Formats: sequence, structure tokens, C-alpha cells
Amino acid sequence: MTSTASDKRSGNKKSAQGKAVDSYLIRRLYFFLAPYKWFLILALAFTLAVAFLGPLRPYLTQVAVDDYIANRDIEGLGKLMLLFLGVLLMETALLIANTYLMRWIGQGALYRLRNTVFEKIEKLHIQFFDKNPIGKLITRTTSDIEALNDLLSSGVVNIIGDLFRIIFIIGFMLSMSWELSLVSLSVLPILIYATFWFKARVRVAFLNVRDQIARLHSFVQEHINGMNIVQLFGRGKRESEKFEKINKGHANAHIRTIFYFALFWPAVEVIASLAMALVIWYGGAQALSGEVTFGILLAFIQYVRQFFVPIRDLSEKFNTLQSALASSERIFEVLDTKNEIPDPENPVTPERKEGHIRFENVSFRYNDSEGDVLKEASFEVRPGEIVAIVGATGAGKTTIINLLMRFYDVTSGRITIDGVDIRDMGHHHLHSYFGLVLQDNLLFAGSVMENITLGNDDISHDLVKKTSEMVQADRFIRKLPGGYNHRISERGASLSMGQRQLICFVRALVYDPTILVLDEATSNVDSDTEYLVSKALETMMKDRTSVVIAHRLSTIQHADKILVMHKGRIRESGTHQELIAQKDGIYRRLYELQYREQLKTG
Amino acid sequence: MKDLLQLNHYFRKYRWILLLGSLLLILANFFLIWIPIYIRRTMDEIERIAEVREIPYTSVWATLVSPETGWFLAVNTGYLIGAVLLYGLLLFATRQTLIVTSRKIEFDLRNEVYNHLQKLPKSFFDSNKTGDIYTRATEDIVRVREYFGPAFMYTVNTLSRAGIIITIMIMVHPGLTFWALLPLPILTIMAYWVSRYINRRSNEIQQQYAMLAGKVQEVYSSVRLIKAFNREEYEKERFLRESKRYRRKKLRLDLVESLFHPMLLLLIGLSIVLVVWQGGIMVMQGVVTVGNIAEFIIYVTYLTWPVASLGYTLNLLQRSAASNSRIQKLMNVPVERDDYQLPEGRTNAPSGITELKCDITFRNVTFTYPGADVPALTNITMTVKAGERIGIVGRTGAGKTSLVQLLPRVYDPGEGEILIDGVDIRHYDLASLRSIIGYVPQESFLFSESLGENIAFGKEDATSEEIRKAAEQAEVLENILEFEKKFDTILGERGITISGGQKQRTSIARALIRKPSILILDDSLSAVDTNTEDAIVSHLDSDFGKITMFIICHRLSSLRHVDRIYVLDEGNIVEYGSHDELMTRDGYFANMYRKQLIEEELENI
Repeated sequence: MTSTASDKRSGNKKSAQGKAVDSYLIRRLYFFLAPYKWFLILALAFTLAVAFLGPLRPYLTQVAVDDYIANRDIEGLGKLMLLFLGVLLMETALLIANTYLMRWIGQGALYRLRNTVFEKIEKLHIQFFDKNPIGKLITRTTSDIEALNDLLSSGVVNIIGDLFRIIFIIGFMLSMSWELSLVSLSVLPILIYATFWFKARVRVAFLNVRDQIARLHSFVQEHINGMNIVQLFGRGKRESEKFEKINKGHANAHIRTIFYFALFWPAVEVIASLAMALVIWYGGAQALSGEVTFGILLAFIQYVRQFFVPIRDLSEKFNTLQSALASSERIFEVLDTKNEIPDPENPVTPERKEGHIRFENVSFRYNDSEGDVLKEASFEVRPGEIVAIVGATGAGKTTIINLLMRFYDVTSGRITIDGVDIRDMGHHHLHSYFGLVLQDNLLFAGSVMENITLGNDDISHDLVKKTSEMVQADRFIRKLPGGYNHRISERGASLSMGQRQLICFVRALVYDPTILVLDEATSNVDSDTEYLVSKALETMMKDRTSVVIAHRLSTIQHADKILVMHKGRIRESGTHQELIAQKDGIYRRLYELQYREQLKTG
Repeated sequence: MKDLLQLNHYFRKYRWILLLGSLLLILANFFLIWIPIYIRRTMDEIERIAEVREIPYTSVWATLVSPETGWFLAVNTGYLIGAVLLYGLLLFATRQTLIVTSRKIEFDLRNEVYNHLQKLPKSFFDSNKTGDIYTRATEDIVRVREYFGPAFMYTVNTLSRAGIIITIMIMVHPGLTFWALLPLPILTIMAYWVSRYINRRSNEIQQQYAMLAGKVQEVYSSVRLIKAFNREEYEKERFLRESKRYRRKKLRLDLVESLFHPMLLLLIGLSIVLVVWQGGIMVMQGVVTVGNIAEFIIYVTYLTWPVASLGYTLNLLQRSAASNSRIQKLMNVPVERDDYQLPEGRTNAPSGITELKCDITFRNVTFTYPGADVPALTNITMTVKAGERIGIVGRTGAGKTSLVQLLPRVYDPGEGEILIDGVDIRHYDLASLRSIIGYVPQESFLFSESLGENIAFGKEDATSEEIRKAAEQAEVLENILEFEKKFDTILGERGITISGGQKQRTSIARALIRKPSILILDDSLSAVDTNTEDAIVSHLDSDFGKITMFIICHRLSSLRHVDRIYVLDEGNIVEYGSHDELMTRDGYFANMYRKQLIEEELENI
């Protein structure tokens, strides 16, 4: 549905801006074909050869009839037929080679384009992903690119080929008899007119079919999802009626296109046969007055049938070209998106990697129309310190982590690590500081090993094992079927919450991060695992700078400093003991709310 | 293939029109072959005249006006054109009958499938992927249509055309027929083989495409993690690998597809070579004429597509059969049970219910979701008097929604029973049971229709006053009137999106318009602020009087005025009583309540 709407929109835009846009898009698309330049030229040569060999066949039958059959030359006929066979085989071979060659070129260009789009999107700033629904981005990387298949694989070359085929056919016909050519080609205007009349009608009808299909599909989709409501409200009969109406609209749209096709295909057949009738009538008379031979009649009968194919193809190419250009416009829109968090031109690397973090008056807002989600936050984390961030949902805790990782750039103020503004640091170097554990404990479909190393070959099996032992994950991993090679299903559904968490810990630790960034999971784990997790945390935070969004009591109790976030501001800070002593403080209330219960259960 | 037999009742329904279409098609093919026949006759006649006349005509014009030759040329051409026009007309009529009928059958079948879907129980939708159900009602039906449409038409076409043409060819000359037809069986086999290969490979490509899209989704949705661990390059390589694999598979298919058309050309060309060559020799021997060669060349081109389509049709049938067996499987899923087997000693005839008079009783109800190991509700017993307001609270997953879903029989309990006015609810007619319940689900599912239609969804033939009234009672009227198109504002994909709170209130209006005896609010006020909530509640008090309500709620302060609160934990009722009673008990509820107070307090700092 959405694609229909946007197709129309871009269609309108195009007609408004004229052909300039089209040629601009084609030039940009050519970039992806550029490595295949010579192959394209080869394909063009093949196409021209095929365009010539096709019309050659009727010519050879003409020669066979006039020069050999008429003269009763069996041997000559045999030789000519061998030549005919040779021509046929060559045409077939060239056609096969050429079709495949063009598909190969097209797939190559699509491959390049797809990879470019993926790489571009992957590197874009996080806010881009906030603004664009994932579904849309997936469409850009997959189906929009598929839509360019026809254009890139055969589009332009075939158009040239079809044009030349028409020229060659006319050439052969004229060389045999210009008079008969004119007579038989007199149906051509009707044919061209019929074709374009049909194409125009069918295009409209197809657009309608597409709308109807979209309507039908979205009705079905929606009603499968909302079937519960339909049933609870006893609307079965009404919704059935509604469906029948939409279904009817769908059927009628198809029946309309059937009508055009039912009109068109017979019409083509009739026009081609009319041409044959003309050949027989006028050509017959010509034969009797000695102006043409029988062979020529035979050749013409074949030519008038050959003629239609390139004309139909041309009209079809025109349509695919249009819709392909609409897709390419959407793709280039993504490719033209500016990365708002680029790597600095001259990256600065701190002299020593210690993990000294400073937030200086940092404020942040997502965009200008909304208020600040973080207001003038200033704090310092010295190497080896543990800082716990606490606060209610929406207080701005995650924002601090997002800014530290430079997923977003600060609106004002600055963040430094080891004395260097993170905006001056290269992304790669900045991220090499961190070991990140997110709340959702995201795992991918793949082996445990792959989930830990994330495909980094520098991380040895031994290191993974040793690290797993350190956080006591080794024991349960070895018990899994296949051990470290155990395949985790999508999102890690086959593992318990605690197990997933431990794997994420190992993942963060094998990179030996200077700074540990941790968003503690809120969900409860069973008490055995809980013990393992808190032990693991202790090990992890040892000798590391740690920034933790804290959800467990033991974390806040161990922290060197607690930052209490409230409505985007750091409202209190200090150690647990200091903060709990403030009778009216936010921390005390938060403690009541989130942590005190753990004292009882833990 | 056996599966397709189940569809034959459609053939029966449309048998006359299908028969007519087939006859028209056969007739069309009959007229088609007059074209080559008249071409041959003309050429033969020309040859004869040329031989008879010593001196050729002086010009074309002289030939055309000469009484002897001109007349026969005109007549033959006239016959030819007549045959052509008849053929065209009949072909048009064929397509208009056969293909149109296939669309009508598709229409019928799709209605049948959809209506069946509408009667299936919730458990069916839980245990089947939406995508699969969706495919049944869309793509699979399209496939089945191909059986009635193209497959049927091509088969009739191929048989009749080939039958007529081959007969004529043999009548002209059996030997030449042999040469002309020699390459054609290979064509059928090739077409069958290629289209089968294409189908198989397409499935494989489809899978790889899904894989590629899955990879893209995985990366795009976990982009933070990937960036944080500096894994962009690695993910890129993984994507490249899938992308490359996709290209490779696609090219493998492309190779076969590139073979198909040229091979077709080759075989037809071969046929023509044989006709011209062997026919040429026969002409020299005086057995056939050049006109026959022309005729045969046309026959061969006429046979090309029907013969190739034979192989294609066979595959089409296989695919249709596979799709149809999936549809039939769906059609065999039993519909929602209206005829539940009641325990001994009770009548089985469903009876209607128009309002709740007395009370609702849950008696030892235990319920386990189909396929789950642990029960969602264990041994629930409670009695609710008509007109009472009941609050239900508990953590996520405690069983609150499961509990209220049992009332309109979205599911039936495994053990125990639920009684309304002393009668097991399974005893009531399902539609009438549901008609007394107004259900506002947790997720305010609205349809992509106008706001008015969405509210009217709750009541058959609702008047615009009723719609307006319901909107007013649900406190959404003002919002609706602010929209430019008011009640005609279209929601969803093509329309506008409304806020969560507006959605919830529209969903409440949809339930209220039913004037239900029992109202179920499943956390339906979460996105509504307290003032609006109070307003809605006071409307309920003044307009509905004795309405029985089940309110699932997270904002515990909203439950101050209900008659009784049930606290659920892991499928059990752990506490119940009025707000004050529960507070004095100082248990689970009191603890939760205190926490919410602190939260509110924090919110106001």
C-alpha cells in the first residue's frame, strides 16, 4: 500500500521535473554498471548480431525456394540448409550467451548496489534509525533493488536490440521488394497504434489491479490480526460482506484487464494475418506479373509475423523503465543521506588508555522541537571507578550512555575521555574503549562462540573459555548440546534470561575493555543465577572504569559514586551512605521503590 | 494431483460456461487453420496460372483487374480475412468466458476461505503464524486459480489446436508432417523440465532472499551493539556473503532461463529447416507444392506456444495441487465450538441471553493455553453480582487477561466452569453471550476505516446519534470533532495516526455503543490521564447504572471506588477484598500501592 502511494508520488514528481531527473538517475545508476563497461559493449555487439541473424532466416528460405528448389538442385539445397542450420545454431548460441551475459552484468550491478546501500545504512548515525522504521530500510536494501533488475540486466541493451531488429527486418524486406514491403507494412501503423492503445489502457487497469490487490491484502492482514475483535463483537456477517465487496472489486479489476488482453491478443493475431492476406493478394499478383518470386512471398509471410515481437517488447520496456526509476530515486535518497556523526578528519588519539571520563555541562535534545532530555550534566569518572546511575524511567539514564558511546552528539557541552573530546576521536578507537552490555541481552542466531566473539578472529578460543570461567559461564555453556558451538535460536529464546546475561558479559569482557558500560537487566533471574550474575559483575568491574545503569542493590552499594537522575538532570550524587542519609532526597525514595525489596529477598 | 479433485465442485457449478468456452476455443482453432490453407490454395493457384500462361501479366494492376486471376485473388483473400476475423472474435469470446470464469471461481473460493477463517477459534490464530494464514488467503488461492484459468485453457487449446493442425498436416502429406513435428516433443519435454527447474530454483531463491532480508533486519535492529563493538566491517562481510550467495543462486536460475527461449527458437528453426529441406526435395519430386511449404511453416509457428505450454501447464498443475492441499487443510480446521459437549444431565441446545440478571460465578477454573505446560490460571473461584465493579491487578503474566478472556469464551477453561445467572456459559448461544459483553482489549486494535465506522463496529446498524453518544461517553468526542473530517477521519496506513489515548478511548466507545451488561476493560485506561478517566467513570455511573465491570488496571489509585479487587499472582488469586480491606491487610496490594504513591511523589518533584 505504502509503495503504491509513494510510486504515485514519485511519478508525479517526475512528470513535473521532466526528463532531466531521469537522465540524472540513469547516469548515477551507470556508476554501478561501470566495471562491466566492456562486457556491456560485448553484449551490445551480440544483440546486434542476433538482431541481424533473426531476419536472415526468412531470407535463406527465399534463396532456398528461388535458387535451389525452383532449379531442382538437391545438393545445393542441402548445402544451403546446412548454412541455415549454422545460422540457426549461431543465433541460438549468441542468444544464450547474450541473455546470460546481460543477466550476469545485471546481477553484478545489483550486487554492487545492494552492498553499497547496506554499507551506507549500517554506517549511518543512530538517529537515522530512530527516524526511519526498520521495515522501510529493509525495503531499500532488498526489494527496491530487485525492482532495478530488469533495467540493469537488459533494459537499455534490449531497447537498442529491438530497434535494430526492426531496422534489419525492414531492410531485408525492402531489398526483396519495396512495393510489397510498403503494402504489407501498411498494417504497421494499426499495429503500433493498437499496441500503444493497449499499453495505455492496460497500464491504468494494472494500476487499479495493484490497488485492489493491496486493498485485499491489507484487509486480510488486518482481519487476521484483529480476528479476535471481529469475533468478540459478533461482526462476522458484516465483515464477510465487507470482504466480499473488496473481493469483488479485486475480481472485477482483473476481469477488466482480461477484457483488454482478450481484445489485444486476438487483435495482434488478426493484424498479423491481415498483413499475410495483403502479401498473398498483392504479392500473388506481383508473382504473376513476374515482379517477385515465390521465395519472396514465403519470406514475407515470415517477416510479417516476426515484426510484432520487437514492437511489443519496446512498449513493455518503457513501463519497467518507469517503475525502476521510481525505485532508484528512493535508493539514492538513502545513499545521499548525510552521516550526522562522521569520523573526524584528523582523529586525535589519547596518549594513554586509562578510561578517565568527564562530562562537562552536557545537554542533549533529539531535535529542536522537543525539550532537552539531558540538562547540563557534569560529572567525572576516574580510572577504575564505578559510577552507578539511578533514576526513574525516562530520567535520562540511557541518554548518558548513548552520548558516551557517541551514538548521538551532545547538543552543548562536551564529553572527554582521557582528556580528548570524543568528537575528535575516531569512531573505531572510541568504541575500542568500551565493553557494552545492554539491558535486552541481545543475542543473534548463531553459535555461542560467534555470539561472544562477534566474529572477531583475534579472539582465541582459549580466551573465550578463560573469560567464561571467570564469570562462571563456562559451566552451563559446556552443558549445552554442542558446548560453545551450540546454536542459539533467534533472539536467544532457547536460553534463560540469566544465561543470556552471562553470555553478554563474556562478550563484553573478551574485548578487554577499558571502560565497562552496563545497563543492568531489570527482569528477575532465579536466585542461583542471581548469585552467579552478581559475582560475575564484581569480577568484571574490578580494575575497570565502570558506568552502570543500576537495577540491583549490590551494584549501588559497591559504587564509588551514585548519580541520581531526575527529569534529565543529575539531582544528587555521592555514595550510597551519603545519599541515604538525605531524609528528603530523591535517592531515598528511589531506594524505597526499586531497591529495598532486594534486601528482603536477596 | 488428487487434491485438485476436491475443487471439482467448482467445475460443476460453472460447467456450462466452461463448456461454452471450450467450444468457442475449439471453433477458434478451427478457423485459425483456414489461414494457412487459403495461403496454400492461393499460392498453388498462382503456380498453376503461371505455368498455364505463356506470357506473364504486364503489371500488378493488370493482374488484379484481370477477370480470371484478379477475381480468385480477391475471393481467396476475402475468405482468408473472413477466417481471420472469425478467429479473432472467437478468441476474444473464449478469453472472456474461460479466464473470466477462473476469476469468478477465485472470488468464490476466497470468500469461502475468509468466511471459514472468521469462524476459527483464537487458539488457531495463536498456533499458526500470521504470515502462513495470510498466504493461504492470498497467494495459495491465486495458485489455485491458475488451475481453472490458464491451465484449463491451455490444455483445451493445445489439444484442439494440435489435433486439428496435425490432422490437416497428415492429410496434406504424412512424410512432411513427420519432419515438421520431429523437434516438437523435445520442446514439450524441455518446457516441462525448465519450468520445473525454475519453480524449484525460485523457491530456493525466495529462501535466500528471506535470509538476506533477515540478515539486514538483524543488523539494522541491533545497530547500536554492532557499532559499540566495532563490528561494522564484520557484519558487512557477513552481508556480502549472503548477498553473493543470492547472486550466485539467481545466476544459476538465470542460466536456465537464458537457455529456454533460445532453445525454443532453435527447435522451431529446426522444424522449419526440415520442412524447407525435405519439403524442397518433395517439391522437386512433384509430391508437394511450394504452397505446402508455406503452409507448413505457418503450422509450425502455430504449434510452438501450445506445445511449449504443455510442459508449463504440467508444472502449473503441480503447484496448484500443492496450494490447494494447504487450503483444504485449513478448511478442515474445526470452527469455533457452538455445540460444546456439556456434562451429563444438561440439555445441549444453546439458549440465548439478553442481559446479566443475577451473577457471574467462576467455579474452580483452571486454564492452560493450548501447547503450554504451565496453567495460566489455577483453581479460580469467585462470584460477581450483577452491577458490581471488580478490579483485577497483578504483575505482567499473572493471568489477568487470561481470566477475563474466558468470559466471552475466547478460550474455554480446561477444568471447572463459569456460570452466568447459574448457567454454564458454554450453554449459551455464542453470539448472544458475546452480545452482552463489551470488551476493550489491552491493545486497542482499530481497523483502517473511519473513526465512526470503528465505533459503529460494536453495534449493528448504529445510528450517528448512537455513535456520537458513545464517543461522548468514552470522552473521545472532542478529539474527533477536532479532526477536519470528524467521524469520517480514516485511520491507519493511508489515513492519519492517532495517539494511544485516543485509540484507547475509541476502543472504549466501540464497547459502550453495545450497551453491554458486562464491560471488560483490559488495562484500557493506561494512556488516559486521571481527569479523563474520572470523567469516563462518571459517565458510566450516570448512563449505565447497573453495568457489571471487570477492570484490569495498573494504576492502583483508579481502583479506589470498585467493589472488590482481586490480586493475581502466577495464575492464583492471592488476595481479594475492597481497597480499604486490602490496605489494612498490608499485603501484596498494599505494598504495590505504596510504591505507586512514591512514584507519583517522585513525578511531582
